[in-house]
Amino acid sequence: MSPLSFDLHSAGVLAPGLSCLDDLRAACRSGQLHEAVQPAAAPSPDVLPANERRRASQVVRLTLACIEQALTSSPFEADSLRCVFATDEGTGEICQQMLHALDTSRQMSQLLFSNSVLNAPSGYFSIGYRNRQSATVISVGLESFAAGLVFAATEAWSAGQPVLLVSYDPRMTPPMDELLPITVSTASAWVISAGMGQQLPKLASFSIDVVEAGNIRPTSLPSWIPTAWTGQGSSCAFAALGLLEEQETAELRLRWNELMLHVRRKSDRG
Amino acid sequence: MTVPLAIRHPPALGVPAVTVVHPSGCDAQALWKALATNTTGLSRNELEWCDLPCWIGTVPGADVGLPNALKQWDSRAHRLVWLALQEASFRSAIDGAIGRYGAHRVGLFIGTSTSGIRSTEVAYGVRRSSGQWPPAFSYRHTHSADSLCRFAAEILRLRGPAAAITTACSSSAKVFLAAQRFIRTGLIDAAVVGGSDSLCLSTLHGFASLQLLSEDICRPFDVDRKGISIGEAAGFALLDKAPSKINLVSGGESSDAWHMSTPHPEGVGARQAMVQAITAAGLTPAEIGYVNAHGTGTPANDGSEAAALRDVFGPLGVPVSSTKGLTGHTLGAAGIVEAIVTMLALEHQTLPGSPTLASPDSTLGLDTVLQPRAERIRFAMSNNFGFGGSNCSLVFGTDGVQ
Repeated sequence: MSPLSFDLHSAGVLAPGLSCLDDLRAACRSGQLHEAVQPAAAPSPDVLPANERRRASQVVRLTLACIEQALTSSPFEADSLRCVFATDEGTGEICQQMLHALDTSRQMSQLLFSNSVLNAPSGYFSIGYRNRQSATVISVGLESFAAGLVFAATEAWSAGQPVLLVSYDPRMTPPMDELLPITVSTASAWVISAGMGQQLPKLASFSIDVVEAGNIRPTSLPSWIPTAWTGQGSSCAFAALGLLEEQETAELRLRWNELMLHVRRKSDRG
Repeated sequence: MTVPLAIRHPPALGVPAVTVVHPSGCDAQALWKALATNTTGLSRNELEWCDLPCWIGTVPGADVGLPNALKQWDSRAHRLVWLALQEASFRSAIDGAIGRYGAHRVGLFIGTSTSGIRSTEVAYGVRRSSGQWPPAFSYRHTHSADSLCRFAAEILRLRGPAAAITTACSSSAKVFLAAQRFIRTGLIDAAVVGGSDSLCLSTLHGFASLQLLSEDICRPFDVDRKGISIGEAAGFALLDKAPSKINLVSGGESSDAWHMSTPHPEGVGARQAMVQAITAAGLTPAEIGYVNAHGTGTPANDGSEAAALRDVFGPLGVPVSSTKGLTGHTLGAAGIVEAIVTMLALEHQTLPGSPTLASPDSTLGLDTVLQPRAERIRFAMSNNFGFGGSNCSLVFGTDGVQ
């Protein structure tokens, strides 16, 4: 089949040393990440009504802060975006708190249970931005970003609407981090569209070729991404955004199950 | 003039095979038998590991571990998958699709809400008391949402795109539309879609905390409805680009933009999903012959959905039933279970009833089907709504009626 193509219009990034897309691009250029520069703890999301803001968990704050960055330079209204949220475990501290409550008093708070669903961030996004579009949350372990990118591209093509793709991994807390060593929270948000015309402002255009993996090996993550982040799928999204600083037609290979995605930046000259 | 489903635009997708395990048995025939006789599969909670006063739906055989060769995958959610995939005719249909298209051209999309969390609930207790996780416990093989896909892919020998969709109680309805998009863009030719959710402390106590777990058996659309009864289930359907006797015609998805755990009181999001599904099918509401409602049995959900149904179809505008009185609310598996109920209704040209509905709430303005009855239906809709305000409506159809 012919590759899926999409335009990337804007993006948000959050991780230690990365407080925005410009930080990520600078890290790509210099080959270094100033990990010690912590972004402010994910801010309380102003977009939510006061009662919901108080209820927002860390992962909700993380994703909404990242989305807010992406929406700042998006050519689309926030309520027009269909959504694909891609994550691995996806709830972070909530999972541990719920298991602890069940193993001790069995008294679970309403808030804890409501926040325990994997689609809590997409739900709060919908509430905050009065977005009534479809929101799909997928989980494919370390391959969540690769799968999410294809989900977002197929959704953009099929629906003829712009799509917000959010790739994120909230930090796991003890003792769950012994099972899933996600030690820092990482996230990126992408606003993409497909076939909606050349006139819209964009960062770049990409194509995705999906082929049988066979003996093809995935691209190693760039050296500026800390080794500790290789156990979280959302790092792959940082590598993909790094294509913005690469030569035109640069390629990133991402594994998804028995498939290999060839993600290429398309030439600006078409 | 009726347009054959094969030449509609967009074309319908065939559903040549299904399989399902549910509180009334371990195949689709047992589900149809329970539907046709209007018999509930729910019983009072007698779980050894949960003492909440409520009604539940347990799958026969779910307490038995997986065969030794599959031990590393053993979780209650995977046992349900394993049981569902024992259906020989379903396996043969999958093998046929792999033969026609290749294992890389058949997708796998599985909806779940809690996946294998029951295993982690048990393991967490060991970790807290002993300081060590049980040696045999593997989070990646039992609880991780994608383990459902990796487990099912191993059994079915699928090598194509695979993902878990987890949007609470709409999860395994949305898998149909994800697969439809992948087929339309040409990435795959067929897909196995499904869902699995098992009984676990997380959801039993979680819904109890929200005061949504009924001590009485759930009674969707009843004037005395007091909340949900939780069931467990797993089910799968093969979607094929070639239409068959029963087909997925279209669907609609929306978000409420309202509240994390309470549906919009006027059902604005539910209405949007239904209208989208009907419009995408090129139909009018009058052409939908039956709606399998989400109908959980909570006062808020049933009120919200009824408002949306009245808005779309008019008061008493379409025969409606919720089959959760039969299966319980199977949460992340509700989408696939109720899609299969809807397809069985089309296949048998019979509307399912409402086994636990004694006194219909007349203020809801619904034409609720109390007892199963024969009726000619060409198109039927299945609704599923979930936490986060996630809504999904699917339209299925058959060419077998004129």
